Amino acid sequence: MIGIFFRNLVRDLIRQPLRTSLTLSGVVWGTFSVVLLIAFGDSVGKAQIKRFHGMGQGIVLMFPSRTTLPWQGFLKGKPVRVTPEMVEEIPDKVPGIEVISPEFVGSRLISYGRKEFRNTVRGVNPGFERMRNTIAEKGRFINPEDMAGRKRVCMIGDVLAADLFGSGEVIGQTIFIDSVPFTIVGVMLKKSQNSNYNGQRDERCAFIPWTTFSTLYGYKYVSNFIFRPLDLGRSKAVTEDIKKHLSKLLGFNPADPDAIFTWDTMDFEKQFTTFFLAFTVFLGVIGSFTLLVGGVGVASIMRVVVEERTREIGIKLAVGARRRTILWQFFSESLMIMLLGGLVGFGLSAGALQAVKAFPTGSFVEFIGMPVLNPLVIVSTVLILLVIGVVAGMLPARTAASTDPIAALRK
Amino acid sequence: MIELEGIKKVFRMGSQSLEALKGVSLKIERGEFISIMGPSGSGKSTLMNIIGCLDTPTEGEYVLDSDRVAGLSFDQLAAVRNRKIGFVFQNFNLLPYATAWENVELPLLFDGKNARKRKERVTELLKAIGLYDWREHRPSELSGGQQQRIALARALANDPPILLADEPTGNLDSRSGEEIMDILTELWKEGRTIVMVTHNDRISAHSQRIVRLFDGLVLP
Repeated sequence: MIGIFFRNLVRDLIRQPLRTSLTLSGVVWGTFSVVLLIAFGDSVGKAQIKRFHGMGQGIVLMFPSRTTLPWQGFLKGKPVRVTPEMVEEIPDKVPGIEVISPEFVGSRLISYGRKEFRNTVRGVNPGFERMRNTIAEKGRFINPEDMAGRKRVCMIGDVLAADLFGSGEVIGQTIFIDSVPFTIVGVMLKKSQNSNYNGQRDERCAFIPWTTFSTLYGYKYVSNFIFRPLDLGRSKAVTEDIKKHLSKLLGFNPADPDAIFTWDTMDFEKQFTTFFLAFTVFLGVIGSFTLLVGGVGVASIMRVVVEERTREIGIKLAVGARRRTILWQFFSESLMIMLLGGLVGFGLSAGALQAVKAFPTGSFVEFIGMPVLNPLVIVSTVLILLVIGVVAGMLPARTAASTDPIAALRK
Repeated sequence: MIELEGIKKVFRMGSQSLEALKGVSLKIERGEFISIMGPSGSGKSTLMNIIGCLDTPTEGEYVLDSDRVAGLSFDQLAAVRNRKIGFVFQNFNLLPYATAWENVELPLLFDGKNARKRKERVTELLKAIGLYDWREHRPSELSGGQQQRIALARALANDPPILLADEPTGNLDSRSGEEIMDILTELWKEGRTIVMVTHNDRISAHSQRIVRLFDGLVLP
């Protein structure tokens, strides 16, 4: 039976090479689009999340601002001023904080020899490094000793390092920030970053101890501070506790929504993830429609095949075939065509993805990521292929199975 | 064995209806060889289809081996066709792309027999009709007489007690026709019931009894 079945299939496929290749190409192209679109959507999403992590992972940014509600005799509009010392004391008053850093931000003239740039300088503490993924590739980030001694040391972003020194040695060099000499103790590891606040991206920044920053420039109040909660799921509660603590300290309504502007990156990440999931699903749906067109092709061709083989069906019914035997015969034939097309489509898309890999990398990979045939892509494509295959196969197979044997034999 | 009582068959085509059988009663005993004769349009084919369980009567009782056929589902009828009835058609109705072997094997496949049993049975049948050496040939490579013998072998695959032959010699030259009739006669002598439709008097002469149909009724 299996032998006859495959011989039938091959015969049907070979007898009409044009019809077969057109039918198959619909399925092949459909599968190809589904695989590529889902793989693409998935990789863009992942690349963006990775770039988002470039700004930091599991962190909450808090920007002291102005009050928007009157409080205890003060009118609204009172500035909320937070000193770095207050920030560093928060973990003693509010539980659940893993690490916290104040941040001063300023635009300063940075020069080395005859090269001069106006870039962002950030005054922070050592905890900043792991929160904001400003990892030192060479040398080190600023340390507690630098903090205590208000040392004029800095770690600089990789792009700033390249701008100032080209490919030359960086560590230990002295640069001038607003005419004050600083020693470079580290260069940041290159990273991909798509989100930012206050000033340039980290690749162009210089990071110095906040103690040095406030001493040199006379800043008393932070432009913002960053913390990471011990339990990432409790970021909201910890943020509220910090607000309550500061409201007592500085005198503002703890319910004031805008006294301290908060950017919880976990919220953002959730939205981001949801958005890119929806994006991938959307692309998958578009691909499915392409595959659906292929499926319609298979269904209509199988209808023709059923029509051509009415007599055969009649003979089989006459000698005792049950309806479901006939149903199964045509159903599996359609499914075989779908799977054959699907297999070829998978092969082609795997080849295409390999070809993408061979492409010169760079900004392309940074934005789009590297689309691959991962389990998500494979499982969703196979599911779509099966659903469409079953529907496309069932319709003509039901027609075949409901053939009237007498009419069929008379043909 | 085969009992038809007041069989009516009405075909509806839109608003028109055609009464092909108007109340046929017929009893065929086990081991009988009967011919059904009549002009075209007399209802022979319709009657054969009903006896062969390819079609069900609009009205009337059909009892086959003490089973009421009217109450059976399509798939139950398929099982009856598979095991109890063998069909031989005027135009052979072999699968054109399948070999002689595969054509004979078909009813055994639908009966779910295993490969070893199928092989034994097909070999036995092909040898019996003298076409074992032609087993790998397609119908188009066989003569009409050979094709009809293959069709006969297929009809006998599941060793059914009843053979229905619809103008079995209609498409054959007289010599091949005689050969087929000899085989049918042989099978009848082995104890099978044979119901044959023909309008050839020479062919019907092989049978024990002749039933004549006219305008949907059995002539007395």
